Order: sequence, then structure tokens, then C-alpha cells
Amino acid sequence: MARALVLFAHPCSESFSAALYEKVTTSLSSSGWDVDNCDLNAEGFWPVLSEAERHGYHQEPTNIGSVVEYVERLQAADALVMVFPVWNFGYPAILKGFLDRVFLPGVSFKLVDGKVKPNLTHIKRLAAVTTYGGTRMRAMLVGDPPRKCVTRAVWHVCRPMKMRYLALYDMNRASAARREVFVRKVGQEMEAF
Amino acid sequence: MRALVVYAHPREESFNAAVRDVVLERLHAAGAEVRLMDLYKEDFCACLSSKELECYENTEANCAPVADSTDAVMWCDTLIFVYPTWWYGLPAILKGWLDRVLLPGVAFLMPDNESPNIRPGMTHIKRLAVFTTCGASWWLTQMVGAPGKRTLLRGVRFICAKQCKTTFAAHYLMDSSTPRSRKAHLAKVGARMERFIGADVVRPAPKAVEA
Repeated sequence: MARALVLFAHPCSESFSAALYEKVTTSLSSSGWDVDNCDLNAEGFWPVLSEAERHGYHQEPTNIGSVVEYVERLQAADALVMVFPVWNFGYPAILKGFLDRVFLPGVSFKLVDGKVKPNLTHIKRLAAVTTYGGTRMRAMLVGDPPRKCVTRAVWHVCRPMKMRYLALYDMNRASAARREVFVRKVGQEMEAF
Repeated sequence: MRALVVYAHPREESFNAAVRDVVLERLHAAGAEVRLMDLYKEDFCACLSSKELECYENTEANCAPVADSTDAVMWCDTLIFVYPTWWYGLPAILKGWLDRVLLPGVAFLMPDNESPNIRPGMTHIKRLAVFTTCGASWWLTQMVGAPGKRTLLRGVRFICAKQCKTTFAAHYLMDSSTPRSRKAHLAKVGARMERFIGADVVRPAPKAVEA
């Protein structure tokens, strides 16, 4: 059975993000995915790359020592779905820290002659499900950093066959109906994933 | 001038520490009041918790867990970030500082009856600087869209003063840097800082005009 790693990065279980996370995992499961639920806050993931980790960052394979469990889960995945709120035009720190500490040389990329070669090519499907406080226009004016992080930086090391970036903008003013439509769309996309 | 320098690197002997020192030296030379937040040294907690989110929009209570930082943000008129770019973005500890410190009532105003939009709250900040190092090349960074730089120089810039002055310098291809490239970069940071803080340019004294 194909395996999907779902990273979730909102601390509140009653948040709209949590509802999206729930929708993502149930839709994937019902369409036959073996889902690995990774609620970073609930698991107490520590996002800060330490001095020792920075020091040994390029030393493969010992660099994975402190995060070996997360590396294994990432390497076992055929699909990666990230569910998070956009805060200050970026990922929540806990998700950014997942990239800093787990997407290591030898794990997500190989450095060949100083160039980054993708190393997560077993991830054939990549998706982000997210919410913005700002409007789409405002996000575009800022350059939409989280969209670029997913669709370019993470895309670059996975080279997936399929990618989806599902975003609800202007979250603070979104009516219940608009949210409902978005949840439904997320469900449909995940079922067809 | 009141400058807040937010610094994030785990290793004291890193090149970023040298960049930070150039920044501090220029600020002191210009007679600025300076506060330094060394996020790693202070063991800054990066995660915005569910407890903090519960009172997120309560502008009287939301500052309490990070009062040192919010005080410094409200105190300063110049905000400077020094950090390594990891995964094209800010280190998690610095991103967490933005998440937990740039709160409603401090950094921005939430939509309310007066305005349906999010409005700037740091209009007292007249200068914003970013100094970073990137493992990637300039080209690759541009292709990805420089998300880290944009989070600060557009996202944070947007909630500062309208006429806020900005500056930026990055050392690219950090893993293949040489003593020469690093020295040149420190000189560049110094020069950018001079222009940024408007240090007096030494001009030759005007010649006396003969009658």
C-alpha cells in the first residue's frame, strides 16, 4: 500500500487547520493510502537546529542521529502532504524546523560538486493545504514565500509527478460557507491524489 | 537612533557572528542605543503554543510570554536581522520569533470596525535591514524566489513605517566561500550599514571663498 506522510503544524486541535488535517487524513485513508499522521506539536517535535547538529550537518550518515525516526518516516513516504497555517508570510516555525533538521544532506538532497541533487524522488505526490490571514493580492505582493517554499524548494528535492498547493486566503474574514467549500475541495483533491 | 539587532546562529565562531559584530560596531560608532537579541544564546522558544493562541488577539495579555522582545520591538526605530538562510528561509528559531513576537497590537492591527484590513502596527520603525548567508547561489535563490528575504523585506516591511528605509546583503555560495570572499562581504556589510544609518560622510572642509 502506498504511504502518505502528513505533516501538521497547528498547535490547536479546534482550529480550522485541524479540521483540514482531519479531512486530509480521512480522505487519503478512504482512497486507499496508508497514512502516517505526524502532528508536529502533539509529537513535541523540536524545531531548532542545535549547535552540535549544525557542526555535523554535512557529515553523512551520522547527521541524522538526532532525528532518525523522522528521517525513516520521510524515506518511507510515497506522498508528502503539509497542512499548516501561514504566519507572517511563512511556515510556522515548527514546520520550518522540520526542513532545517530533517531535510538533511544525504536525506533530502545530495551535494554533488556543490550542486543540490534531489534525493526524495520516491515522493511522487506533494501537496500543501494552507490558510492565509492576508488576501491573495497581499500574498502576491509579498512574493508569497510559503507557496515558493513548497512549489519550488521542496518540489526541487522531490520532483513529484503531481503537486497541489491548496490555499484559503483572507481567512479571518472567510464566511462559514467559503470555509466549507474549501474543506470539500481539499477532500476531493486528496481522494483523487 | 534605537536599534534592535535580532541574531540567530547556533555557533559562536560562525561567519554570521562576524557579520553581527560589524553591524554592532557601526551602530556603536554612530552613537546608536543598541539592544541585541541572540536567540540561540537566550534559548528562545520557537513554537507559538495553543495557550498563546488562545489570547492571541487579546492585546493586553498576548505580550506576556515574550515581553522582553515585544518591549524591544516597541522601543526601537531600527530593526536589523542577522541570520543564515536555511532552506531558502529563516532558521526556525527566527521564524518562531516572528510568530510569537509580531503580535496583534504590537506589530499589526487586526481587521475591526474601523478597517476591514490588517494594518501596520510598527510605524515607529523607520529602518529595516537584513544580513544573511546562503548556501545556494544568487541564481538559484532568485529562481526559488528568495522566500526568506521576502518574508522580512516585504512581509515585515509592510507593517513598518511607510517611508521605512531598507538594506540587504547576502554572501551566496557560503560553502565554497574563501577568506577573501568573506572579508569582502564584511566590508560590504560595513558600507551598507554606513549608508543605512546615515553616518556622516567625511567631506573635505569647504575652501574659504576669497572676497
